[in-house]
Amino acid sequence: MRGCLLLALLLTIILALGIAGCGSSGDDGDGDDVLVSAATSLKSAFTSYGDQFDDAEARFSFAGSDELAAQIRSGAKPDVFAAANTKLPDELFAKGLVERPQTFATNRLVLAVPADEAKVEAIEDLTKPGVTIAIGSEGVPIGAYTRKVLDRLGAAERKAILANVRSEEPDVGGIAAKLGQGAADAGFLYVTDVAATNGRLKAIELDAALQPEVSYGVAIVKGASHRKAAQAFVAGLLDGAGVAALKQAGFGLPRIPIRER
Amino acid sequence: MLRVEARTTLPSRAGGASPGFTLDAVLEAPAGTCLALAGPSGAGKSTLLRIAAGLLRPAHGRVECGGEVWLDTATDRELAPEQRRCGYVFQDYALFGHMAVWQNVAYGLRGVARAERRRRAEELLERFGIGALADARPRTLSGGERQRVALARALAPAPRALLLDEPLSALDARTRASASRELAGVLRDSGVPALLVTHDFTEAAVLGDRVAVIDGGRIVQQGTAGELAASPASAFVADFTGAVVLTGVAHAGPGDVTIVELDGGGTATSTDRRTGPVALSVHPWEIALQPAGEHIEGSMQNRLEAEVLTVTQVGNRVRVGLAAPQPLVAEITAAALGGLHLAPGVRVAATWKATATRLVSL
Amino acid sequence: MTASRGRPHGYRDRRERRRPLARAVKRGRWFAPALVVALALALAFLTLPVVAIFVRTSPGNLIGALDDPGVLDALWLSLRTTLLALAIIVLVGTPAAYLLATRTFRGHALVVTLVELPLVLPPAVAGVGLLAALGPAGIVGGYIADTGVRLALETAGVVVALTFVAAPFFIRGAQTAFAAVDRSWLEASRTLGASEARTFARIAIPAAAPGMLAGLALAWGRAVGEFGATLIFAGSFRGRTQTAPLAIYERLGTDFDAALALSAVLVVVSGTLLLSAKLLGGQGTETLRAAR
Repeated sequence: MRGCLLLALLLTIILALGIAGCGSSGDDGDGDDVLVSAATSLKSAFTSYGDQFDDAEARFSFAGSDELAAQIRSGAKPDVFAAANTKLPDELFAKGLVERPQTFATNRLVLAVPADEAKVEAIEDLTKPGVTIAIGSEGVPIGAYTRKVLDRLGAAERKAILANVRSEEPDVGGIAAKLGQGAADAGFLYVTDVAATNGRLKAIELDAALQPEVSYGVAIVKGASHRKAAQAFVAGLLDGAGVAALKQAGFGLPRIPIRER
Repeated sequence: MLRVEARTTLPSRAGGASPGFTLDAVLEAPAGTCLALAGPSGAGKSTLLRIAAGLLRPAHGRVECGGEVWLDTATDRELAPEQRRCGYVFQDYALFGHMAVWQNVAYGLRGVARAERRRRAEELLERFGIGALADARPRTLSGGERQRVALARALAPAPRALLLDEPLSALDARTRASASRELAGVLRDSGVPALLVTHDFTEAAVLGDRVAVIDGGRIVQQGTAGELAASPASAFVADFTGAVVLTGVAHAGPGDVTIVELDGGGTATSTDRRTGPVALSVHPWEIALQPAGEHIEGSMQNRLEAEVLTVTQVGNRVRVGLAAPQPLVAEITAAALGGLHLAPGVRVAATWKATATRLVSL
Repeated sequence: MTASRGRPHGYRDRRERRRPLARAVKRGRWFAPALVVALALALAFLTLPVVAIFVRTSPGNLIGALDDPGVLDALWLSLRTTLLALAIIVLVGTPAAYLLATRTFRGHALVVTLVELPLVLPPAVAGVGLLAALGPAGIVGGYIADTGVRLALETAGVVVALTFVAAPFFIRGAQTAFAAVDRSWLEASRTLGASEARTFARIAIPAAAPGMLAGLALAWGRAVGEFGATLIFAGSFRGRTQTAPLAIYERLGTDFDAALALSAVLVVVSGTLLLSAKLLGGQGTETLRAAR
C-alpha cells in the first residue's frame, strides 16, 4: 500500500510540474512571445533578427514553407508566417487565414556543390551519368523554383538531369545536409543557404535567363494571439533591424515598392 | 453447515469433440465435518467449489453457509467473493510471490493494526510448525511448506467454511502421506464445514467424513467411504473406489517377505519391503472368499477371518463388505456367490496373494 | 568418441579440442559457425551508426554543443514533455490494460487493435491526424479551443503527440504483464476478503510491475525519439516545442557537429532506457517464474 501511495504522489508531482511548465510557456499574456513560422532558408537571417527584436521573445519554427502552410490550413495559429515564395501566403490570404501578405525579400537560386569537389562545375555537368543530385520536393518553394529552372533548359537536358536526381528533400536544410555529408554531388539551393554553410559548400551561379523570380512573402496570421508583437516583427522586417539581418545573410530587397507600412 | 446447490451447463473442455454437460448437484457439509467430493477430471468438482466461493455464478443455484445465504439465483441475491467469509485453498496454492510468508498469511486480516497482524500470522505459522519461515519468500519453500502456508492463509481470517481444491495433488508421494494426516487433523480442529475436492478416492476416504462421488456433473453416490466401497451404487463407483486400505505395522519376515501386524488383529504378508507404520492396500477383485475353517496349506496366500456385513450386487459382480475386524471389501462373481451362501453375519475367510499386497509407509 | 585407425585414443582428442571450429567444419558441421557469422554481421550493421556518432564527435565538440542554449532548451523540453506524457500514459493506461487483460468481451480483438494502431501509423500520419482531430479546426479541437486551451504549436501539443505515439508501447506491455499474472492469485485475493479494486492495487500491479516497467521504458524511449508527429502538430519552436530530435534535424544542414553531439546525448539516454527495460523485464519474469 505504501508503494502505491508513493507512486501516486510521484505522478501527481510530475503532473503538477508539467502543467505549470506548460502554462508558463503558453499564454503568458500578450507581448511575451511571438511565434514565427518561417521557411528554412530564413534561419540565419531571422535568428539574428530575433536576437535584436525587443518587443517580444521571438520564437521560430523553421521548416519547408509548404509544410508550415499546411499547418496553418489545418487550423494551427502561429503569429507570423514567412514563406520562400509569395504563392503560399497569397493562397492562405485567399482562404482568409492570414492578413494581406507583403513581399519582404528576394533571393537567387544557385547550383550548390561541396567546396572541395570538382565533379560538377557547371549546370551541363548535371546531365552526365553517375552524377547524384538533391533537389527540393515539388510542393516546397525551392523545389518549385528548381523545376522552373529545369523547364527553361531544353527538354533533353531536363530529362537527363531529372534522371540523376536521387533525393527530393522537404526543405533546403535537407539538401544542404546531403551535400555537406557528401551524399549527393550537387543540388539547387538559394545563394543565402550556401553562404550559411560557412565555406562547406560553394555556389555555381546560374545564367540570368534561367533564374526564376524568387520573392519571399510574409503575413500576419488571422486570430494570432500576439498581434501587436507580430505587427512589430513584420514592421522591423520591412523597414528596420530585419532588413539589415536579411542583407547580411545575402538576401536581396524587394524590387517592387513596399505596399504598406 | 455449508449447503451448495447448483444447476448449470458447463462448456466442454479442450476442443469440443464431446458436447458440454449439465452440472446438477446438491452438497451438504455439516459444521465441523468434511465432505470430500471425488470424481474423475472434468466431472465438475472444481466448478462446484468455485460456485461455493463466488468465483463462478451458475445459471441456477443456491449457496448457504451458517444460515447466511451467499447465493440465490431465484431471488437474484449474490454476495461477491470478498463478502463471503470462506477460506479457499487452491490446487497450486496461489501464494503471492511478491510478499513474504507472514504477509501472505496476514493478507486476509482486516481492520487490525500492522503489528498485531504480524503477531497473529506468526502464531498461526507456529501452529503449523513453520514459524521460522515467516520472512521467507514463497519461491524458496518446498511443496509441503507451501501447502501449509496456503492452509494458514485460508484459516487466518477465521472463515465460516473451508474450500479445498485438490490440496494434496501438488505434493510428491512421500510428503503426501504426512500432509494428509496433518490436514485431516486441521479439518477436524477447525470446527467449520469443509468441502474438499479430489480425483483420488483414497485421499477422499482419509480426509472426508463423508464422500460424494461425482461423474458427468451428477452426484452418483454419497455416503461414508466404507459404504461406497462396500455397496457401490454402480460399476463406476465400484471401479472408482478402488483398493481396500488396511493399517498396521510392518517388519521383515523369513523368506524375504514383509509381515504386517494389522491394527485390530490379524497379520498379512507382502512382497513390498517396508518397515514401521504402513497402509496396506489390495484390490477387492484380488480377494477370494472361502468358507471359514478351510485352510490351504503352504501357499503364499494371505488369509483373514472375517464376518460378512453387506452383500451388494453390481451387474454380474458382487461386492461383499467384511469386518476383519478392519473393514474389507471383496469382489467376487455372481456365480461364486451362489456356492458360498453369503449373508450378513456369516463368517468367511478372505484370501489374497502376498504379491497383490501393496504397502505404503505412513 | 571414436578412435581413429592406428593413433592412440587420447592424442587425437587433445589436438581437436584446441580447435573446435575447425573440427566442426572438417566434419561438415558448418551450421554453428554460420550462425555466429550471421550474428556478427547483424551486430556490426546495427552498432555501426551508433559507433560512428561517437567516433566523429570529439569530447570537446560534445561539451561545446551542450553550451548552446538551444540544445539545453531542447533537452530540458524533451525531459519535461516525455515525463508528463508518461505520467498520463501510466494513469490512464494501467487500468485500461488491466481491463483488456482480465476480461473478454465482444470486440475485444478490435479494441486491442485500435489501441495498438499508433504503433503502425507513420509519424507524419499521426501528426496529420492529430491536427485534424485536435487542431483549432479539428473535429474535437474546435470545442477544446472554445475553452481557451490551445494544443497545436504549444508545449501541451507536444505532450499530446508524445502520449499518442508512446501509449501503445506501455499498454501492450502492461496488458501482457497483467495477463501473465496467475489468475488464481487474483481469485485467492478475492476469497481472502479483498475487493476487485484492492486486488488490482495490492496483487495485480505488484505482480505485473516488472513487465509494466519494461513497457514504460520502451514507451519513454519512443517518446524521447518522437519527431514526425511533433513537428507537424506542434511545430519546432525553440524552447516551446522543439524537442531534442527536432533540434537535431534543424542543425543537420548548418551545424552537423552540433547534430552529432546532440545525437550522442540521445544515444546514451535511449541506450540506458533500453538496458533498464531489459534488466527489469528479465528480473521480473524470473521472480514470477520462481514463485510458482
